[in-house]
Amino acid sequence: MQRMRRALLAIVLTATTTSGASAQPGVTGAIDPPLSPRNANYTITARLDPVTRTITGSETIVWRNITTKPAADLQFHLYWNAWKNPRSTFMRERALAFRGPSPSATDWGSIDVTGINLSLVNTLRLDADLTASRRFVTPDDDNANDETVLSVPLPRPIGPGEFATIDVTWTAHVPRTFARTGAIGNFFFIAQWFPKLGVLQDAGWNCHQFHAGTEFFSDYGVYDVSLTVPRGFVVGATGVQREKRDNLAGPAVGTTTHRYHQDDVHDFAWTTSPDYLERTARFEHPTLPPVDMRLLLQPEHAGQEQRHFDATRTTLKYYGEWYGAYPYGHITIVDPAFQSGAGGMEYPTLFTAGTRWLAPAGVTTPEGVTVHEAGHQFWYGIVGNNEFEDAWMDEGFNTFSTARAIAQVYDPNYLAVRYFGGFVPWVFKDVVVSRETDGNRLAGYRRDARSDAQSTPTFRYFPSTGGSITYNKTALWLNTMERWLGWATVQRIMATQFEKWKFKHPAPQDFFDTASAVAGRDLTPYFDQVYRSSNVFDYGVQSLQTEREGDGYRTTVIVRRFGEAIFPVDVLVTFRSGEPVTEHWDGRDRWKLYTYQRPAAAVSAQVDPNRVLLLDVDYTNNSKTLAPKSATAATKWSLKWMVWLQDCLLSWVALV
Amino acid sequence: MTALSAWRDGARRVNRAPALLVGVWALTLLVSVPLTIALRGMLDQHLGRSLAADAAASGVNSDWMQEFGDQATGLGVTFKPTVIGFGAVLDNLSAFLDNTTRPVVIVGAASAYVVLWIFVAGGLIDRYARDRATRAPGFFAASGVYFFRFLQLAVVQWIVYAVVFGVVHGWLFDRLYERLIHEVSVESTAFAYRAALYVVFGALVAACTIVFDYAKVRAVVEDRRSMPGAIAGALRFIQRNAGAALLLFAANFVAFLVVVALYALVAPGAGGSGVSMWMACAAGQLYVIARLWVKLTCWASQTALFQSRFAHAGYVARREEVWPESPAAEAIL
Repeated sequence: MQRMRRALLAIVLTATTTSGASAQPGVTGAIDPPLSPRNANYTITARLDPVTRTITGSETIVWRNITTKPAADLQFHLYWNAWKNPRSTFMRERALAFRGPSPSATDWGSIDVTGINLSLVNTLRLDADLTASRRFVTPDDDNANDETVLSVPLPRPIGPGEFATIDVTWTAHVPRTFARTGAIGNFFFIAQWFPKLGVLQDAGWNCHQFHAGTEFFSDYGVYDVSLTVPRGFVVGATGVQREKRDNLAGPAVGTTTHRYHQDDVHDFAWTTSPDYLERTARFEHPTLPPVDMRLLLQPEHAGQEQRHFDATRTTLKYYGEWYGAYPYGHITIVDPAFQSGAGGMEYPTLFTAGTRWLAPAGVTTPEGVTVHEAGHQFWYGIVGNNEFEDAWMDEGFNTFSTARAIAQVYDPNYLAVRYFGGFVPWVFKDVVVSRETDGNRLAGYRRDARSDAQSTPTFRYFPSTGGSITYNKTALWLNTMERWLGWATVQRIMATQFEKWKFKHPAPQDFFDTASAVAGRDLTPYFDQVYRSSNVFDYGVQSLQTEREGDGYRTTVIVRRFGEAIFPVDVLVTFRSGEPVTEHWDGRDRWKLYTYQRPAAAVSAQVDPNRVLLLDVDYTNNSKTLAPKSATAATKWSLKWMVWLQDCLLSWVALV
Repeated sequence: MTALSAWRDGARRVNRAPALLVGVWALTLLVSVPLTIALRGMLDQHLGRSLAADAAASGVNSDWMQEFGDQATGLGVTFKPTVIGFGAVLDNLSAFLDNTTRPVVIVGAASAYVVLWIFVAGGLIDRYARDRATRAPGFFAASGVYFFRFLQLAVVQWIVYAVVFGVVHGWLFDRLYERLIHEVSVESTAFAYRAALYVVFGALVAACTIVFDYAKVRAVVEDRRSMPGAIAGALRFIQRNAGAALLLFAANFVAFLVVVALYALVAPGAGGSGVSMWMACAAGQLYVIARLWVKLTCWASQTALFQSRFAHAGYVARREEVWPESPAAEAIL
């Protein structure tokens, strides 16, 4: 064991210091020269018993302190203990947002660390069994029942730049799916599954408890993982399979060990099931590196291969062109089993999509989720922000980018509603899904707009509103920036952010600094509105009057700022002669009066006529016309509604 | 008389009394138009003088619909894109089978509509049973005679359907279904389970409906005053004529499916304003009338079947009512 650890350390030291030829990532998962600091490297051996749903594992972590401060302890995430009982912080927060049935006794999951051993070899040699000194800590709250963060005090601090080798053994029970992790039938999706170090920063460990509304944060490194599963089970995992070995004797007889390897990633997830159909394809592009795509598809979704591959190609192409190249050379798309709850989640070089048995054309299922999760390879995978605290930096950036990419390829796409228990889709071809409002999820934001300032740490958002603030609001304010500053500028901002922070951990201010620098103007006032406050934007036309005066007409327009938030908007007044007059209002005052003396009467007035400000929570009040069609529209739609009502009444009368 | 002959005879009886079909359609309008006017007012008020109305009038203004929905209360919450075209029918069918809760105002309107149907049910069945014109006085007299009897029956129906929808549905879909699919990882398998449970639930509802339909038919044809007796009589009739009764119900159900399928083919989309708006409205009303025709044909054909097995066509035990003269008229004499 000692010899193996030294060999591993030597490999890691070499990998982190070598600078050589260009990267050749596709075949082996190895990348040279290193793209990341590689300060948290994991060699893991794990065995799954699908009958008892138990994982027995051991890992060797080679960790380097890359801060300027010594580390007095080690802190590990034990995420699966969030599902150990209803008293964890995760379950208590979930109960605040979601009142569903309690999990049954067999649904719970847990992880139990059975041994921790530390070796320090850089300076004074030290080998210590730290198992007895481990204890659970709760940095975010005082919940003594939460066991998702394990602290291990060190016999002596690990200094800046110093390496430590940590051996950990554990057993875990696979839950019925929580947070996209778990099992149903013989489908297993295993994520956040091993004892994982937090991120040491100069301020100390950033190792949050597992919360219901947030995701993850960890350092980059090299993962070499050997997974033993029953023979015949197909495995998909982060990285590239380097070895597949049938175990013909010993306690593991009847199993197969799959060894996966990947450099420069910050997590490792895997899945296994005997039912997967395996499909492959390749992404090729004139200026971007090729990517081998591997799809693990549910048998009932046979025929939807191309939709998954095309959506992934869409992401690799557009994100690659807009932000930067995908560097790994391979990607695994997992189509999760029905009811697995594992759909729509990102992991390095692997993601779960999500489709349905009935998936009509013209509706972006599975394309929407596939583009989004593939997009996380860029925002989350390559640019590794802290999802516990600033989830908007990946989820929001990615929601904006998803809507933009979808609009490039899948336009138009339509509203679909599922009936009969959510199984049978009906496509409303009259209702075209809009990138700007539907894609950026304006309706959800409007509902939760006032709940929290985005600058609030994500894990402290009001229960069940985190999605709206994280995904929707960010996408809306980015799209607003695009309409305000132009796509060329926003694209350069995002590309610069990507290039500057890839394989690093950017903070919000890093993005704001990048944005202002690239835009060539101080965007702080804008970010004060959209990021540092929960104020809402709502501009409107208060009144429009036009009266004959002399030979012409006197027109007065009063526009109002109904919301607290401020944004410069245009005001368009159109006259009967067809003449448009556009005013530029800084939007600061509560109201503004415009007066015109023209030969023609006014027809309409509109604030923000081009709908630059997508965060405006009430766009209906943004305009007034002197030739309103509201009566016609109301009649038309109420007549349609009447048929619905009559049909509803008839369904009741069927019982008379 | 076979079941199919009864269905044809029932359809003929309904077709020979078009005023009744028009009457129940008018009844439907009576309940739906006031609510439609109320909703129209909400939509008009929300749009105000906004340019958003232009897009809403010429097609679909999805953003406006979402804004309206976000601030809507009461009746307004039911205004969604799902009211467009055949989606409206699917929405209601799905809500029926999934026992989806509707807003109080809709439940109230539906309850009023049901009471009106309870009132006219006696007159309708009496007219189809006699198979000859009874004129308005005869129709309303029969309606009045059977209204309170059918109200008693409605109490039993309410209790039975409360159990069916409130207890059995929950047991089937919230407990049994969830238990069946707990470890199911294939969507089509889960749907097969759900579809099977829909069949079970639908069969249960159909069974109840058949019993209550024949209870009403027996009450009218045999002038039964006891509704428990009418229910017992209906059960006996169905037991002795199970094949014909079930086949007839199936024929009526097929007619319902045909109407729904035809509407699926021709249901208008969002459309624009002007003539197309009224054309769309007319298509919707034709669908409603067709649904009402199926409902009336169901009662008329069940009446025909019962008469053919226990009496003869046109037999009704109770003498035809005439609208009572006002006592005031006698006083004048």
